[in-house]
Amino acid sequence: MKLLIGQILPYITVTLFTLGILYRLGRWAGARIVHNITLSPWLQTNSQVAIRVSSEAFLFRNLFRFDRALWAGALLMHFALLNVLGGHIVGFGFLGEQFALIPGLGITPELSREISGLLGSIFGIVLWIALLYLLYRRFTKEAVKMVTEPSDNLWLIYLLVLVGIGNIMRFVPGYHIEYELVRDYISALILFHPVVDMDLLNSVFFLAHLLLVQILLIVFPFSKLMHVFGMFAERYIVNRVYNDPAPGLPNVDVASARKAGLGVPDGDAAEEEV
Amino acid sequence: MPEYKGMVQPTRASVAEMRKIHIEPVSDEIKPDKAIEFLDQIRKKFRSFVIAMESCTKCGLCAENCHTYLGTGDPNNIPTNRAELIRKIYKRYFTLEGRWFGKLVGAEDISLDVIEQWYSYFYQCSQCRRCAHVCPFGIDTCEVTFIGRQLLHWLGISPKLHATTGAAMEKVGNHTALPKPGIVDTLEFMAEEVLDEFGVEVEFPVDKPGSDIMYIPSSADFLLNPYTLMGAGMFFTYIGANWTIPSTVTEAGNFGFLFDQYWTQRGNVMRLLNVAQELGIKKIVWGECGHGWRAAKMYIPTLADRPVRWPLTHIHDEIANLILKNELKLDPSKNSKPVTLHDPCNYVRACGLNDNMRVIMNACVTDFREMCPHGADNFCCGGGAAILFDDPEMYRRRILLSKKKAEQVRATGVGKDGEGILCAPCSICKAQLYPMVEEHELGVEVKGLIDLVGKALVWK
Ligand code: HEM
Ligand code: SF4
Ligand code: SF4
Ligand code: SF4
Repeated sequence: MKLLIGQILPYITVTLFTLGILYRLGRWAGARIVHNITLSPWLQTNSQVAIRVSSEAFLFRNLFRFDRALWAGALLMHFALLNVLGGHIVGFGFLGEQFALIPGLGITPELSREISGLLGSIFGIVLWIALLYLLYRRFTKEAVKMVTEPSDNLWLIYLLVLVGIGNIMRFVPGYHIEYELVRDYISALILFHPVVDMDLLNSVFFLAHLLLVQILLIVFPFSKLMHVFGMFAERYIVNRVYNDPAPGLPNVDVASARKAGLGVPDGDAAEEEV
Repeated sequence: MPEYKGMVQPTRASVAEMRKIHIEPVSDEIKPDKAIEFLDQIRKKFRSFVIAMESCTKCGLCAENCHTYLGTGDPNNIPTNRAELIRKIYKRYFTLEGRWFGKLVGAEDISLDVIEQWYSYFYQCSQCRRCAHVCPFGIDTCEVTFIGRQLLHWLGISPKLHATTGAAMEKVGNHTALPKPGIVDTLEFMAEEVLDEFGVEVEFPVDKPGSDIMYIPSSADFLLNPYTLMGAGMFFTYIGANWTIPSTVTEAGNFGFLFDQYWTQRGNVMRLLNVAQELGIKKIVWGECGHGWRAAKMYIPTLADRPVRWPLTHIHDEIANLILKNELKLDPSKNSKPVTLHDPCNYVRACGLNDNMRVIMNACVTDFREMCPHGADNFCCGGGAAILFDDPEMYRRRILLSKKKAEQVRATGVGKDGEGILCAPCSICKAQLYPMVEEHELGVEVKGLIDLVGKALVWK
């Protein structure tokens, strides 16, 4: 078990995840943008496009405009997720001392570890609660219920379990795992060193967390989670620069047409009447 | 066939009618297989379609932003569910997850029933793109129904309305099968009307060689919306334009866009380019038609089979430009009834006409009241994509599809005294709204925007 999940599977996961995403993106790239289906009102410069796309991607502009509750839930979930993912990288990478590396703030390594721990706890909880809200929404809002497939609920439950296990390791002292152990594990994997004998892999919670993450990554390219890329691919189609051609009619001189009285019958037969 | 297993459907074109537009209907036994074959061909071409198939998170935001779901409460009228009707097939045949996990991810085998679902629900979508406008990713269900309708068409299933209109386009170049003599007669009659009613002498030149401007009116303006065409005639006369109407393309619309973007839509584009060259014109100006203007402005560049030498503009853009330059004298008090504006979806979400319509409106009327929401956020009239079916089942659906619009119009209060104006500057909007304002008892008269311009022009 330890050998499979801890030693062999990670390499398979990384390979399938990468190839899967490349396959999916390649498939999208193979189809063309045939006609111009830009949405108006037009964005007229590249910076307007950049602002629109990033406000959709990072602030969820449309959700904000059309559904505040979903906006709050989705933004919290994604923001916490982003931080949790980032936290995994810097937390294990710098053992929680990343904030001490920022020059000029005078943060000590100890303080940095405190901050790191606090942020991790907050985002871990926020992420879990936000996921719970999204699941709640799927069961309570009539219209949302009608668009939900079993897999949509499964994803949320899956993430709740995955994140839940992460939170247990963080909050239950008996199951806590030191950053150093994970760092050593990951560097060993990267260097293709054997890891099966590591203490870390004796933690059932760690193994379960690791397994769930790996399954998630393997399925990712074949699931709706591809919306991370889909979002940019679609925006690239519907939000582009468009400038209307200049108006102006050939050989039209309104002033002289009016002076000539075009359209007005001779002899003022018809006085304008409404 | 107005109903199939509880689903409403528009009356179908007969085999003979399909043959007229060059389609040989596929027999029922091989229909499912052919559907997969055609879907496989077309999915590889359109990225907008692929992304709609593969990136929706089922957040459900589009549901209450589509007037068809709001009006009918039918789950399959939720944009993502409408797309799901084809997505479930797409998943089953063209994705790994669909092949492996089947029902769990909502994949389903193709069958005649599924094809009938397509026919029912793709022809309840008005292709208004409000779903694309609100979707957090911009996923455009309109692209899905375009392709769905195209597949149905290739299988030999198109509404009678669309197929016969397509045939008329090929025969005479307009939707209403109006031949040249009829066009010339109607225009002469209109010139008399203008003189009687407005005291203005207007000429409507047809096929005049050496014209500078070629005006493309909607063919519906000859019969149903005469004031729109009269308004255009007055406008061109007022500014002293050297203009003409081509008898071979008296059609701003292009039904091909709505059910057959290959043969039927292209056919009319080529007619247009041919006549522009023959008459030696310098600029093409488009009349009031929502889908037609989108099809022209956004699709001609990619549909034309030769370089397009003529700039294309919309008459609203030109009128607004002259208003902004202070070259038109307009008297808003000639339009003193309360007016509200229905933004044609294609204008505001696909053609950028939003501001210019308001420039014109503000210059031409005294009591303009915006709907809520309006502009790019507006709701469709429920008739878009020419789902103007008259068979009783579909007509009842149309009333439901226009429910949201009716609520909006009522909320503006323009029809309170029974003499408001609902300005809807698109032929399909007009055709939908003429009966719908009666059905919903809105107390408004439906008019185009050029109608109001024509009336407000000050001649001396
Ligand atoms: C720039 C990147 C991303 C953007 C713009 C984005 C945006 C969105 C939006 C707008 C929704 C719909 C709202 C909702 O249902 O909550 C959504 C749903 C979702 N996203 Fe993301 N997302 C991104 C990255 C990710 C990533 C990396 C994951 C990885 C797990 C993820 C997981 C999910 C899940 C599970 C849902 C479904 C929630 C539900 O079922 O209600 N997203 N995303
Ligand atoms: S709004 Fe977009 S992502 Fe959400 S369900 Fe509709 S199509 Fe899918
Ligand atoms: S295009 Fe309009 S009618 Fe069609 S699904 Fe989208 S919102 Fe609904
Ligand atoms: S008919 Fe009018 S309102 Fe409706 S889709 Fe066309 S432009 Fe939209």
